[in-house]
Amino acid sequence: MLLFSFVLSLTILLTSWVEASDYHEQLLLRPLPQSALLAAFNFRSNTTATAFEEQNFRYFPRSLGQILQHTHTKELHLRFALGRWDAEAWGARPRGGHREGGTGVELWAWIDAATDEEANARWLTLTNALSGLFCASMNFIDSTKTIRPVSTFQQEGDHSRTSPENLHLLHGALPHEVVCTENLTPFLKLLPCKGKAGISSLLDGHKLFDASWQTMAIDVRPVCPADGSECLLEIDQTVDMVLDIERSMRPSHDPIPRPLPIENIKCNTSKPYNGPDTCFPEDQTGVLPAWSLKEVYGRPIRGSCPLTDDSAPTVILEVPEGRDVRGESAESFTQSREGNLRLYQLPKNADFDLTLREQSLDSSLSLEQPPVYASRTFTGQGQERGGMLAVLTNPSPSTAVSVIYLESLPWFMKPYLHTLQASISGSDPNVAMNPLDSVFYRPSIDRQRGTHLELALTIPAASTVTLTYAFEKAILRYTEYPPDANRGFDVAPAIIRVLPFPSTSNSTSLPPQSYQEGSTYLRTTSLLLPLPTPDFSMPYNVIILTSTVIAMGFGSVFNLLVRRFVGADEVEGPGLAGLKARVKGRIQALLARFGGGGEKKHQ
Amino acid sequence: MPIMLDVGSGPAVSDQMISTFQQKIDELNTFPLHRFRVSSASQDIDTEPVILVKLIADANQGSPRSNLLPYARVLEVYHAALKNSLEQSSLDSLADYVAHQVLDLFAEERATLSRLIPKAADSAISPELVERIDRRSMRSFKYAPTYHLTFSLFSGASTPSAWDIKAALDEYLTPLLQSFSSISTFTVDTQVQLYASLPPSMRGPVYDSESAQWTLEKADLSGFVNAAEWPLSPSIGLGPTINFILYAPSEGKSPLVIKETGGNSWLIPQWGGIQILNLPAGSTSNSSLLKQDLAPVMHTFADQLVSLLGLPQSPPSLPLRISSLKRERAASLILSASDTLGALSRLSLKLEAIAIPNNVAASVEKTIAHLEQACRELHDGRFQKALQHARIAEGEAEQAFFDPSMVGQVYFPDEHKVAVYVPLLGPMAVPLLMALIKEVKKLRRPNA
Repeated sequence: MLLFSFVLSLTILLTSWVEASDYHEQLLLRPLPQSALLAAFNFRSNTTATAFEEQNFRYFPRSLGQILQHTHTKELHLRFALGRWDAEAWGARPRGGHREGGTGVELWAWIDAATDEEANARWLTLTNALSGLFCASMNFIDSTKTIRPVSTFQQEGDHSRTSPENLHLLHGALPHEVVCTENLTPFLKLLPCKGKAGISSLLDGHKLFDASWQTMAIDVRPVCPADGSECLLEIDQTVDMVLDIERSMRPSHDPIPRPLPIENIKCNTSKPYNGPDTCFPEDQTGVLPAWSLKEVYGRPIRGSCPLTDDSAPTVILEVPEGRDVRGESAESFTQSREGNLRLYQLPKNADFDLTLREQSLDSSLSLEQPPVYASRTFTGQGQERGGMLAVLTNPSPSTAVSVIYLESLPWFMKPYLHTLQASISGSDPNVAMNPLDSVFYRPSIDRQRGTHLELALTIPAASTVTLTYAFEKAILRYTEYPPDANRGFDVAPAIIRVLPFPSTSNSTSLPPQSYQEGSTYLRTTSLLLPLPTPDFSMPYNVIILTSTVIAMGFGSVFNLLVRRFVGADEVEGPGLAGLKARVKGRIQALLARFGGGGEKKHQ
Repeated sequence: MPIMLDVGSGPAVSDQMISTFQQKIDELNTFPLHRFRVSSASQDIDTEPVILVKLIADANQGSPRSNLLPYARVLEVYHAALKNSLEQSSLDSLADYVAHQVLDLFAEERATLSRLIPKAADSAISPELVERIDRRSMRSFKYAPTYHLTFSLFSGASTPSAWDIKAALDEYLTPLLQSFSSISTFTVDTQVQLYASLPPSMRGPVYDSESAQWTLEKADLSGFVNAAEWPLSPSIGLGPTINFILYAPSEGKSPLVIKETGGNSWLIPQWGGIQILNLPAGSTSNSSLLKQDLAPVMHTFADQLVSLLGLPQSPPSLPLRISSLKRERAASLILSASDTLGALSRLSLKLEAIAIPNNVAASVEKTIAHLEQACRELHDGRFQKALQHARIAEGEAEQAFFDPSMVGQVYFPDEHKVAVYVPLLGPMAVPLLMALIKEVKKLRRPNA
């Protein structure tokens, strides 16, 4: 992980002085334990500020550029995510969590505006325009889902040219949004090589959205070089995903997982019942699976994108030293090695594939430990009230860690802040301090804005902080329920910012040069809040009941009033017998006509 | 509409000449919408003259000859020297000649206005002129005070990936846009897109071995734009977007021409223009297009832009064409605003249940006020102001008509009311009806 960040910082530093080519792309592949594969794609391009203002676009996409100009957005971060990052099995998040998003859609931006109302109006325009561009329903991010975080996010760009009080940070999240191919297609259209050449040719909706965890990120920020030359506007597009290797290698025409035929299974021969038809499979934990890019993604990398700089390696594979890796291509390509990293530069026009053989190695890559483990759940039962429980664990044995915990809750979930309790349980019973340093709380207003809660906590070494608070659920109006009301309502994930060691208060002065210098970010999962729902069939029931009562009641009373009672002999006859007689008469008449006609013919 | 003619000031100009000219033009002009007024520079008039007629006495001239300057609104008339006496006959012949020339200049404008307002039609217009005017109106955009121009370079492969568009635009296109600035303003943006593939629904370029070129059929031209993959979203802001596309085919598909004509550019009505850039073989390795390469491209784009804006094709002087376009646009805007008002009034009469909100009423009043002003300005010859008022009137009329509360289906039609009350009243009504029928039958039986 350190090497990973080293390579990334190397690339960033490299790009800051190599201005010859304005477009860079990189793919980092790292197999994770239990047959998982982390694939991190990164595409970066930029444009000069003058070209941006004159609206001459080359690598920077014009549709996004015009939206940013129109809404006076100086820095934009947009995330589409799904899945869950398994920190126990996979270690720390890639890129320090800087390119991770909460489940669904998450958007935060620094908008240049004179007043708060103007900033809100521009934010609404921004969400509507982006929802059209990305085919996502971001237009639902209105004032009820928007907050202005105070200390959780730091600017990544250089905003020295704008006065700081005019920059408003606004954040909105849509945890209910389902991310799928219709969001991937506009993402690929923003790239210069458009998914047809280079590493972007691997991105396919079928494999990407089948992953255990994936995030698509778009970040736009201004970069002003230190020597005072012109500012640039940089767009950074990232796709990070963790694929399950076996699941991705299932061919598309036969996606059902089937057991292998017994000849292909490695059997544990020490068992007494081992035979040609009984097999106890051997423990495969130490064995690294065989895979290749073509099998995992369904296609090889199609050549290289000609806009990239030739000197930087495009595909980096991080595997232990003894691993057997082969790059295959019809044309020649450059490869090199640096410790655990295998570096490849793609051939210009031919397909490129990486193949790894099945191996059992003694050494394995060490995974970087995340600074904090976090999880969050609901407690309590019933439809009136509940509780929230967040557990933050610091695994480090020696260093305490400072975090900022941000939650944006919907207005119908009303927390009681006086019930907020933070308790520490850990190895050192003498530490009895209160982990809560400060609280920023903005209460909700019904149907106008949600709750904004930011907590600054310090977690001592090797301890767990448990945060609990109670909340009450509101009953919504009849028309405010979504079509599948009984599913529940999604609550956005909590965003946790781990402040760098040693914790300094002015970590927002400079944009970080690499992802390790500044803070790291984590997000918990989103939660489903079951609210009391009404019975939606009641209007139908009322109409049916009223009509039935009126029909039966009115009909009976009216008949009683109007009915005339007559003797039985005055009436033609009981209905059914009369009916039978009439039908019989008709049939006889018909027969007589045809029979008579026939008789007449005979005669 | 009064058209002012300025005869300039010179030794030959005199009041008698002016009155003779006026008389002759009034005799020859039968178009009710045009009213010509002749004046001279010495007179003080508040409206700007549309044409400046310069009389140049040339001793060698036999019969008079005229020359229209292409970039100024000046008509130069070379005539034989007038004798100093103000001979009526020579003045008459000169005036006759000048009047005929001036009326010829406005022939297309007359025809266009006759098509707009059939009641004011002049003598019969020739059918090819009619066809030309119809084609022009079909392919040009509706009038808007701001147009967005988007210039895109689509490359079939990965080169060319850059173009010197800013310099080319500044040199070749900006002067044209500035001369149009009295009518509309323009915002320009450009983009480069690579790996632009042609739509699969097209029959595709077909290789023609005899000319060693790839050809496109005429039927393919309308489907050339791959709207699914090419990012051609309209620009943000009011006003329509005019797209100009320069397509550079990949090396395997180059050169690409249109089969029937062998040309490489075409116009899509009310959308924009497309040009195919066939670079000479071997030069596709360089990835950047220079200003010199873009010069012919810009000329074609300028032609396409001019026809998309609806500029008439005659007379051969650009300022005259622009002023003629101004008058035509003002007239069509006035007509369309009045049409919208009429439709609005018919709608409010038909759907009496509609409650008309206050802002719609205010918009209607504003429309009427601006329409009156526009007509007055047209009458007085101030065409620039007339266009502005007509544009505001049209905007207000559209706003009033398309107000969300004016949409008919918001109101409950009677069928819905029936549908709600029938389940309640039906079970009551049916026994009553049956009982009524039985009673009527009973009453009839003793009578029968």
